[in-house]
Amino acid sequence: MSQAEAGAAGAVAARGAVPGATAPPAVPRVTAAGYAALFVSELGLVFRRARTMALLGILAALPVLIGVVVRLRTGGARGEGPAFIAQVTQNGLFLVFTALAVALPVFLPMTVGVVAGDAVAGEASGGTLRYLLVAPAGRTRLLAAKFCAALAYCLVATGVIALSALATGAALFPLGEVTLLSGDTISAGDALLRALLVALVVAASLGGLVAIGLFVSTLTTSGIAAMATTVVLVITVQILDTFPQLEAVQPYLFTHRWLSFSDLLRQPMHWDNVLADLGLQAVYAAVFGSAAWARFTSRDVTG
Amino acid sequence: MSEMTEQPEPVAYRSRRRALVRVAVPIAVVAAVGAGIGLVPALASDNGPSLPSVTAQQLVAKALGSDTQALSGTVQVKADLGVPTQLLGLAGGAAGSRKAGGADPTAKLTALLGGQHTLQVAVDGPDHQRVGLVEDLAGYELVHNGADVWAWDSSSNEAQHLKAPQDAAGRAAARQPSGPVSGLPVTPQEAAGRFLAMSAGTTSVTVDGTTTVAGRSAYRLVVKPLQKGSTIGQVRIAVDAATGVPLSVQAMAAAGGTALDVHFSSVSFAKPAASAFVFTVPKGAKVTEHGADGARAGKGAPAPEPAGTAPRPKVVGEGWTSVVEAALPTGGPASGDAHGGKGATGALGSLSMLKGFGKQVTGGTLISTKVLNVLVTDDGRVFAGAVTLPVLQSAAGVK
Repeated sequence: MSQAEAGAAGAVAARGAVPGATAPPAVPRVTAAGYAALFVSELGLVFRRARTMALLGILAALPVLIGVVVRLRTGGARGEGPAFIAQVTQNGLFLVFTALAVALPVFLPMTVGVVAGDAVAGEASGGTLRYLLVAPAGRTRLLAAKFCAALAYCLVATGVIALSALATGAALFPLGEVTLLSGDTISAGDALLRALLVALVVAASLGGLVAIGLFVSTLTTSGIAAMATTVVLVITVQILDTFPQLEAVQPYLFTHRWLSFSDLLRQPMHWDNVLADLGLQAVYAAVFGSAAWARFTSRDVTG
Repeated sequence: MSEMTEQPEPVAYRSRRRALVRVAVPIAVVAAVGAGIGLVPALASDNGPSLPSVTAQQLVAKALGSDTQALSGTVQVKADLGVPTQLLGLAGGAAGSRKAGGADPTAKLTALLGGQHTLQVAVDGPDHQRVGLVEDLAGYELVHNGADVWAWDSSSNEAQHLKAPQDAAGRAAARQPSGPVSGLPVTPQEAAGRFLAMSAGTTSVTVDGTTTVAGRSAYRLVVKPLQKGSTIGQVRIAVDAATGVPLSVQAMAAAGGTALDVHFSSVSFAKPAASAFVFTVPKGAKVTEHGADGARAGKGAPAPEPAGTAPRPKVVGEGWTSVVEAALPTGGPASGDAHGGKGATGALGSLSMLKGFGKQVTGGTLISTKVLNVLVTDDGRVFAGAVTLPVLQSAAGVK
């Protein structure tokens, strides 16, 4: 165990581009503590980046923008625009759902694509990957740590949108009982719980994209290329999702059921589509995660 | 894990072999997923559960006499009638456009005739029903609770309220499970009831093995028209072995393909909570009131049908070859609202629009779909049914 921790410590040291720390030659054992250290180190790598902070800042600004626009443009003429936006004027809590629905198709996958696409390729192009692999942490565990760190980013990004929307909604609009899509009315406390659940489902919906981004990231040594490919892929898939001719394929597109989180805003909650979405994400994570693993554990690291 | 540490020496050979072994893993995952998607439904539908054999008569009696009063579940409706979506829009529009807000049930339920939809249903006896239409980021609810019928649309936040009649006719109209405000079959029971109620002389009914629907064992009934001229080839109905409740209905077109598929994807026969049928008007919702007799208390929105007083189209023929006759402007077969709102211009507009969809035949214009055929005669009468053109023409008195 101490060896594994030493290995993880070596990984941290390598990240700072300090190649002096020679790794112990012994074979590391797989331990939870060693993995946790690696994961924490990855988290630090993701969240200490100025780029990540800027992305989170954009995500936080989005609900504020929506809230201010809705507030300024509401001259009693409700019913314009999507229903979710119209509801915001009556209840600030709805801004959470509105902001998530607006951010999910483009903003969230874009930032997730940046983080996941950069995970391996960025280090390869930066030259830090080779030092990282000298440390006997194991490529499999390194990849797993990167996957989990990117998933954690999804959670944080979704949480930032939800919290910013909640604060903006509370500041600009009245709070109170929420009317669900099925016409039932629930208290503000229940609505908060549902908002939490929705945010979790939205974060989990990005799991498939994380695996795809990680796989793309193992294919190239250019971080920019990996990020761009992932983002373009998300947009392409969503465009394909709109063609009626592709109806037979669409249920298998990973973006197809992203908006199913709205089914949790019914009484009783309708889980079929949400579970189908989560299952689909699990399949994508398994397929592209194993592809990333196959590629990453067998490729020559030249960067 | 040991081989994962960097080995500077014989890299070329070892890493290629290792790469091949590694690539097998994602391929195996893909294969497993593909097999799961392909095999599980096949396995599920292949071998039905073993149930004691019954005759078709017993099964029909069981289905029609089912005393199950309470259930809740999720219904999947998939209709592929081949009706052009513009025509559906016309039908919905003619029935509900005249200022009826977004909560008009006729317009909403006409949309069920095309595409795939998910409904959440709850039924507790003839007086308590609820149907929720699950839409993307929106919802539509129909709630029947004793004397009150509510329709509510989340996207417009508008509600319609109807005081249901308490006399015998009104109750009979409301007795159809979960179709309180519509003439359309939205649940398997309703759809099956229609097909099974066809008279014995025109229909052949056979039992065709067993199947599993929504995790329940069921018998499969096959209903076929004996009359010539129907565009429906056969109807398959799954009847729950324990309760006799129809769990799924599939109508196959004579030309091939499934025209209608209504089935429970999940179902429970526990009594739904009473609160499921309580509808309180959401804050800020605009409510349109309707009187008990279907008179328009609101601003000209047509009354929902169950009041039973809306003029219905005439039915010619019987059984599978029955043809619905109506006059323009009607908005097509799904709607019986013939109150002329705009008069002649509306009729002419509808007529020319309908002709755009159809082709000229003897006696008028035929709009032909997979199952449904509609003949619009030159003098403005409309004949519609799941029948072939000659049947429509003879009903119209052409030739």
